[in-house]
Amino acid sequence: MSIRQISVATSILLMVFVIQESVVSQFRLPGGGFSILMIFALTWAVLSETEVAAVIGFAAGFLMDLSQSAAGPFGQWTLILLLAGYSISYIGFGDDNVQANAIGIIFFVVIANLLVEIAYLVIGALLGVSSGSFVQVLITLSGMSIWALLISPLLLPVFTRLHAMIFDSRSAL
Amino acid sequence: MRNGGRARLLLVTLIVTSLFLITLDLRGVKVIDGFKQGTQTVLSPFQRAGSTVLTPVKNFFSDVTHLGRTRNQIEKLEAENAKLTSELINRKNADAQLEQLKDILDLAGTAGYKIVNARVISHGSSQSFSQTVTIDIGSNAGIKKNMTVLSQYGIAGVVKDVYPNSALIQLASDPSFRIGARIAGTQQIGILTGRGTQSASLQLLDNSTNVKVGDILLSRGSIANRPFVPGVPLGYVTSVDNSAGAIAQTATIRYYTNFSTLGVVAIVISASRSNPGDALVPVKPSVTPIPTVTVFVTPSPSPTE
Repeated sequence: MSIRQISVATSILLMVFVIQESVVSQFRLPGGGFSILMIFALTWAVLSETEVAAVIGFAAGFLMDLSQSAAGPFGQWTLILLLAGYSISYIGFGDDNVQANAIGIIFFVVIANLLVEIAYLVIGALLGVSSGSFVQVLITLSGMSIWALLISPLLLPVFTRLHAMIFDSRSAL
Repeated sequence: MRNGGRARLLLVTLIVTSLFLITLDLRGVKVIDGFKQGTQTVLSPFQRAGSTVLTPVKNFFSDVTHLGRTRNQIEKLEAENAKLTSELINRKNADAQLEQLKDILDLAGTAGYKIVNARVISHGSSQSFSQTVTIDIGSNAGIKKNMTVLSQYGIAGVVKDVYPNSALIQLASDPSFRIGARIAGTQQIGILTGRGTQSASLQLLDNSTNVKVGDILLSRGSIANRPFVPGVPLGYVTSVDNSAGAIAQTATIRYYTNFSTLGVVAIVISASRSNPGDALVPVKPSVTPIPTVTVFVTPSPSPTE
């Protein structure tokens, strides 16, 4: 990654973070809502090679930890999104069935979104963070997945174009 | 191969950094707090602007969400909407907040609490399975960590983090929220725990006493009134779990506060010297007797001509 790529990618990431915190967080959406920062990081992770995906995951997780509504210890989101970004890229990068196919990317993002939330719950439980009743957690997980499924197709064209613009790839859909 | 090795090295470095951050935070290193405080200071103007601009949109979504429950109210609003201009919408928002504020002041005045009012500017993300809101005042207005937060109906939460111009409130519905509670009248005590919804669970400390549906719960209060002042209405019992052999009796509570419609809250700066006791127990609506007229007719012994 060149300095230009890093600086532009960081600016976009910060912009998405500000939108998440000042616009999306204004709404108490049913079923837990969604995080465009997480959808953004996961989408870019699918489209990027492992090194870039890991850095994007790390940066996005760091920003999510900075959010005042992050309940767990600082670094929990950083660790989870770092591992998620690397894993997604490891599985999906270079596979045209995933990268050249919008449905493939959306499928990856939604499943990854669900797995990331489950990983957050498990690590949170190990670190002593309360998450509510089992039924409530199930409802929230289902709600978040449905939101991710609804929102990802809307944001995908924007995120893939931004990715193509910065990394000069052919991933714009 | 070299690329793969470099990627793995980068991954390991970042994992170690993440674990380092977690360790620092769990050990209470203040650098991390500084990071979060700085971010919140930068974000709060954006959140204020977002709150102001998006209020009409939020109201619209709130109406859609509560469609089934408030159909009559929405129909009434729809009839009025034709007449309303944007100025009137803004006025309506202000009136609603004023109403909440008035009720909060009534509540605080009855108990003798000294309060500071605040506006909710952001709702916390549910991605972390927590229930929080951000308010528009912070340490510059005298807000400190672990202060009780009231809504117009009773408890709203507790101040979790304070920044110069904003503060993070942990709502009473948060799963990690705990508060000492007592039942109004009988004075039985227990611990109330949030569930992530409008309901909470109560665990009584004494298993020999009885709790019944409809009992009203008030806060017990903490040492030096931090984090909780005594006498704040919490909610009422909706069901009791009387399973035989249970170590402690438990009950389900419904909070008085509707956490999804919080617009204005009050932070208790100081409590009254005396415990308000049961003074804040919400008054049940009383039925006003309607006088009925009874006419007695006695038939006369002989028919009138």
